[in-house]
Amino acid sequence: MEASIIVIYILTGAVSILIALLLVHLARLSAQAKVKAARLERGKGGKILSDENLKKAILEEVKALEHTKRRPEEITEKVSEIFGRELEKKIDVNAREIAGKYETIVKEKTQNEEIAWKKYKRVLANKKETEAVIRSIAEGLVVIDAKGKVIMMNPAAEKLLGSKKKDKIGKPILENMKKEQLISLVKEDPNNAEDKEIELVSKEDDTKKILRSSSAVVENESGQTVGMVSVLTDITKQKELDELKSSFVSNITHELRTPLVAIQKSITLILSKNAGRLTDTQEHFLSAADRNVKRLSILIDDLLDLSKMEAGRLKLKCETARIEKVVEEVLENLSTWIKTKSIGMVKDTEKGIPDISMDPDRIIQVLNNLIGNAIKFTPENGTIKVGVSLRREKKEICVSVSDNGIGIAKEDLDKIFNRFYQAGERTLTDISGTGIGLAISKEIVELHGGRIWADSSEQGGATFSFTIPLNT
Amino acid sequence: MDKNIKILLIDDEIDFVEPVQMWLKAKNYDVISATSGEKGIELVKGENPNIILLDLRMPVMDGVETLKRIREFNKDVPVIVISAYVNDPRAGEVTKYGVSGVFYKDKKFEDVLPLLESALRTHKKLK
Repeated sequence: MEASIIVIYILTGAVSILIALLLVHLARLSAQAKVKAARLERGKGGKILSDENLKKAILEEVKALEHTKRRPEEITEKVSEIFGRELEKKIDVNAREIAGKYETIVKEKTQNEEIAWKKYKRVLANKKETEAVIRSIAEGLVVIDAKGKVIMMNPAAEKLLGSKKKDKIGKPILENMKKEQLISLVKEDPNNAEDKEIELVSKEDDTKKILRSSSAVVENESGQTVGMVSVLTDITKQKELDELKSSFVSNITHELRTPLVAIQKSITLILSKNAGRLTDTQEHFLSAADRNVKRLSILIDDLLDLSKMEAGRLKLKCETARIEKVVEEVLENLSTWIKTKSIGMVKDTEKGIPDISMDPDRIIQVLNNLIGNAIKFTPENGTIKVGVSLRREKKEICVSVSDNGIGIAKEDLDKIFNRFYQAGERTLTDISGTGIGLAISKEIVELHGGRIWADSSEQGGATFSFTIPLNT
Repeated sequence: MDKNIKILLIDDEIDFVEPVQMWLKAKNYDVISATSGEKGIELVKGENPNIILLDLRMPVMDGVETLKRIREFNKDVPVIVISAYVNDPRAGEVTKYGVSGVFYKDKKFEDVLPLLESALRTHKKLK
């Protein structure tokens, strides 16, 4: 009997110990769970501890565990607890930050995308408009890149060049233009270095076409050349007209000159008295005729010069000559007229003026115009002064013609050199009576590299001056 | 026979004045000439011509201005205007100052005579 009671006691004891151990274990588990939960709670709302505070927290926990039996394990446990807690907090905060930023970025991107899309649609519309314009202009438009390959060509250009766009895009512009098609490329237009004339023979109808190509360089924002734009205009008709005009002018001048020459010769013959004796009266009137035939000749020459000027074809024939001689010659030619009007001619020529390169016939033409004008507009017994000087600093010679006849209004002083400009009375009836004498003189002087200008002179008349540089 | 008709020729072109003067003198007219409007006006005052041949295009003072000034002191001397242009606008302007005819320079000498004569006759009639 006593043995079974002892066994029961032992069993009960063992079961109680077991239950106690179990309870302790459960308690520990729940404590752990609580701690975990607390950790999580703290992690959710708690601030991340700074380094200092973290150290303190760890120290506190460690101190609290100082006297427990399972110190190292407990300490490790606590420390990893704290770390785990802080880590969770940090991860959480970061996660939220990132989520927030991500949201913002996505929003921005969506907006930008919308804006970009709108802009793209607008650019597309503009591009369509531009294309429509380029397609419909009558002039040919060709765009080539920096390597000379065609990147764009409008229908008008296709027609003018006799090529199809698909054949030309990506290829150099001169490719596929056979020899029969190209007579001469890049003939320089004297008026404008950027304009070139291209002669083509069209494949279909064997006609010759002349195109003017006006080119401009295309630069990007940093000033680099990225290509070239050429506008092609069909100037075939215009060229034909120009040809007709100049052949008309030369025919007409020939026609006009022929009878004049006949008159001139007859008069010269009679005046020379080789056709019989002449009375004074006869001689007098024949001289008048002679003089006027010469005047007419000059007028015709002026008109011919004018048409040459218009075509940019007035050319100089330069040689070394002495300016005084040229002045002398002109005064000699005009001497009869000067005498008739009893005009006092004063010559003021500087000494030691070197011979210079000039077209003497053309300078004679200029002096005839200026001195002739002076004579015409100076009253009888008036004075005309011709001065020739050397301007050393500017390395030029200066010729001036002053008269004391009717002057020129200030506002007209620089306009009178314009073709066809008529400034009051003076240019209206200049020596050729057409107002082009001064314009031609200006062209001649400027072709020499000099300048021409007019001033009102102190005596009340006008002074015309021009310069010729020493080294033309 | 009363003295010759005195013609005053006002024209800046000496080479036109001389032959015309000579030719008219050969036809028994008395001819005086002036190569500018100014001088022409002086001669009108001083010589009292019977008829004036006046060029329209002259430098300094043109025909229109000259006639205007002449008319300020002489309202009835007949004036024949000389012109080198068929459509000279001045030809129209000048008529308001009293003109008896227009002579185109490129016509023959003889063509000026009928003009002169009819102008003088009309003038005499008015007198």
